[in-house]
Amino acid sequence: MLKIIIPTAMLMPMTWLSKPNMIWINSTIYSLLISLISLSYLNQLGDNSLNFSLLFFSDPLSAPLLVLTTWLLPLMLMASQSHLSKETLTRKKLYITMLTTLQLLLIMTFTATELIMFYILFEATLIPTLIIITRWGNQTERLNAGLYFLFYTLMGSLPLLVALLYIQNTTGTLNFLIIQYWAKPISTTWSNIFLWLACMMAFMVKMPLYGLHLWLPKAHVEAPIAGSMVLAAVLLKLGGYGMMRITILLNPTTNQMAYPFMMLSLWGMVMTSSVCLRQTDLKSLIAYSSVSHMALVIVAVLIQTPWSYMGATALMIAHGLTSSMLFCLANSNYERVHSRTMILARGLQTILPLMAAWWLLASLANLALPPTINLIGELFVVMASFSWSNMTIILMGTNIIITALYTLYMLITTQRGKHTHHIKNINPSFTRENALMTLHLLPLLLLSLNPKTVLGPIY
Amino acid sequence: MLRRTLLLGLCRGPLGRGLGTHRGGSILGKVEGRGGYRGSWMAPSSSSVTFRTQDPAHDVKTVGRLGGGDRDGKMSEIKKKIQSILPGGDWNPLYDTSYLPPESSDVVIVGGGVLGLSVAYWLKKLEKPRGAIRVLVVERDHTYSRASTVLSVGGIRQQFSVPENVQLSLFSVDFLRNINEYLAVADDPPLDIQFNPSGYLLLASEKGAAIMENNVKEGAKVCLMSPEQLRNKFPWINTEGVALASYGMEHEGWFDPWCLLQGLRRKVQSMGVLFCRGEVTRFVSSSNLMKTASGEEVNLKRIHEVHVKIDQSLEYQPVECAIVINAAGAWSGQVAELAGIGKGPPGTLQGTKLPVELRKRYVYLWHCPQGPGLETPFVIDPSGTYFRREGLGHNYLGGCSPTEEEEPDPGNLEVDHDFFQDRVWPPLAQRVPAFETLKVRSAWAGYYDYNTFDQNGVVGPHPLVINMYFATGFSGHGLQQAPAVGRAVAEMVLEGHFQTINLSSFLFSRFYSGEKVQEHNII
Repeated sequence: MLKIIIPTAMLMPMTWLSKPNMIWINSTIYSLLISLISLSYLNQLGDNSLNFSLLFFSDPLSAPLLVLTTWLLPLMLMASQSHLSKETLTRKKLYITMLTTLQLLLIMTFTATELIMFYILFEATLIPTLIIITRWGNQTERLNAGLYFLFYTLMGSLPLLVALLYIQNTTGTLNFLIIQYWAKPISTTWSNIFLWLACMMAFMVKMPLYGLHLWLPKAHVEAPIAGSMVLAAVLLKLGGYGMMRITILLNPTTNQMAYPFMMLSLWGMVMTSSVCLRQTDLKSLIAYSSVSHMALVIVAVLIQTPWSYMGATALMIAHGLTSSMLFCLANSNYERVHSRTMILARGLQTILPLMAAWWLLASLANLALPPTINLIGELFVVMASFSWSNMTIILMGTNIIITALYTLYMLITTQRGKHTHHIKNINPSFTRENALMTLHLLPLLLLSLNPKTVLGPIY
Repeated sequence: MLRRTLLLGLCRGPLGRGLGTHRGGSILGKVEGRGGYRGSWMAPSSSSVTFRTQDPAHDVKTVGRLGGGDRDGKMSEIKKKIQSILPGGDWNPLYDTSYLPPESSDVVIVGGGVLGLSVAYWLKKLEKPRGAIRVLVVERDHTYSRASTVLSVGGIRQQFSVPENVQLSLFSVDFLRNINEYLAVADDPPLDIQFNPSGYLLLASEKGAAIMENNVKEGAKVCLMSPEQLRNKFPWINTEGVALASYGMEHEGWFDPWCLLQGLRRKVQSMGVLFCRGEVTRFVSSSNLMKTASGEEVNLKRIHEVHVKIDQSLEYQPVECAIVINAAGAWSGQVAELAGIGKGPPGTLQGTKLPVELRKRYVYLWHCPQGPGLETPFVIDPSGTYFRREGLGHNYLGGCSPTEEEEPDPGNLEVDHDFFQDRVWPPLAQRVPAFETLKVRSAWAGYYDYNTFDQNGVVGPHPLVINMYFATGFSGHGLQQAPAVGRAVAEMVLEGHFQTINLSSFLFSRFYSGEKVQEHNII
């Protein structure tokens, strides 16, 4: 594990000591190398986890997320080059440092064994993200957005700290490797109900659950591109990952307690998808679609069947790549037209045909076209929830249709039709942007050839 | 007490969303102050005349009203704080920036006169998903002390020789007639635009008679009258030297421009357009060298940032934008130069400037008890002098367009009374003998956004600065065509082509290609 952590930590001094014209090249190439190292963790043992030390371990659930995190850093750096080009050198280096710190904390979060260490790092990831959103965001509303982001997550996770300390006191340990064998069924008393709530609320807010999702559209829209990418791709998955880990301790209370959250998620799925149909701001549309996809993951984790866990894991990875790619595409639009409104930049297919190809592929992945892993994830979750209750198929089916509707609406509004007059002179696609899209798409398509990598520990 | 507190607190808050107010944007609240314009359209005819001669330095203050006792003040402070922190408020923990425009806006309209507001209105009306486009109107003088709109005589006619002008005026008349359906805002009183449909009477001498006959265009209900018919209908006219007269029967007359302006303003605010008080000082643009279909290279520019300078301060706010609309009226030429239009070797497209300049025109108000009665149309003499009835007390407004040699200096809005004595009164007295005895009550001067090329408007995008659209240069008939022009520009921005009225002959490219759209009936 140190072979990833130390290089990531050393990326920071490297950035500060690089020559001005080499900062982007150095950081991108070295972070790409680190991500290639982390690919080795995908080679998991059959039914147990890879234990690197007392502090770090990786199992088939956290390894794909780890690889996603490390893969994302070079992509974030590539995406940020354009909007940071006018900043001073120190600011650029600071930005890269923030991204690297976030990366480091995320790597350690996904591989932590001790739940308290997981909690500390979970909270610590908020700080670099907050700095990125509020300092480098685009508009004055970013202060508000940062506030919402910070306080929603803090409010949710403070009870988690108390719950973890309580579990440490009663069980004697919070090391995940031990706890998964030590977990005893807990009775459904009031205090256990509150314990359940305390454990789960932090992750519900992070996912986000439909009723607590207010921070997400704000944070996504106001964040700069790298902030949006890491938020959508990785930070949301922290919630899913945390939920999957902590539900081991909370049986069988989950069977009763899950009902309100299942209802919220099922309904919220359809609601946020419908909201997407009426969005005029491109980034806002992608943000709401994230809420919708993550609601599926919440449903899957709360049902706790083997298939649903496989679906949740696959969906998390797939959504991470797709959502990040959609944000990059939206950003490439925004950098040219300086507006996020969809109807002001239409008919781009005739002007930027290669970018239109990436838009098409990203949209097809977003609407869960077979054989992408998006489909595998969604399908497994739909099947598992059908077996949990037959009625959920109505809502799930509606959601799938509406997802297809708004994705195609987004694609057709931005790409098809007659182009508006004032986009005649936009810059053609840069190689950097095309490389960015390829690097997003390639893992997604390759994974559809071998999805068992991302199907989690149950497979 | 509670109600007073509520009113105070709600009025002063940055949101201003209280009982009965329906402002869309939060920026306006603090900048406008209260009572500045709200009352003015209640009594249009008297206030409109007096307002124009008011001291232009009069300004509305932005400090909230501090009425009541200290307890009321504290209560409203607390209320304001709570309201701003709650979700939906725009609380800024560092410092108050509500007077600044937002940091980004999809469309920035330079100029908040009737044309700018009309474009804003139609943009918001015609956008397909509601609330899609963010529009910012930048106006440097919210009292409109030098704007052409409010200093205008307010006439509307269809007697133009260019068919597009006729269509524009026809739609505008329809807009004005149904103004309370177009510009209705919930809870606000209806507008009384005081449209006097008295018609226009254009008189032509022998030389102009043939042109006048030709100029009767489709859509305009015009009656051509001989001198005897003229004497029968209007006995107060001296028909010496008049060979033909054309009298508009329908849809012509005059109205209160201030009322139209305020109606547009409050409607546009209710639709969510943001206003900002500032001056555009810089355009930051990026350019791309591209090749046309025939292989020649052109440098296409796009403006991606507008620097708005705040009044009486060095502070400016860069506003990131996708589209800029130049509706700055008489100052459009200067705004266009900021964007780099006209910087190039003369004779090329890059070197073609926007030929809109300031031209000062005088309007005089006089009282003549024996003057023509209530039926008096807007009379335009062959010498270029014009007058119309104003109000019900034997007052008349009129003036004359000076020739090229006697153009007054447009540096200020001082009125030259000798001009009336020398150039306006003699033809007037000759045409209407009753005007030999009159008393000038007041006078004012206003600017024409004079298009030196062909005195007709410029509409549509610039071929090289591709995201700047023009809606200016109407040389004295902009007010009457404003609603239709606003719609045309909004269609151009949203769809890419004109849909209802085809104004492609009014595009900027005619300045380069030399095709004049000559209007024969310009006052």
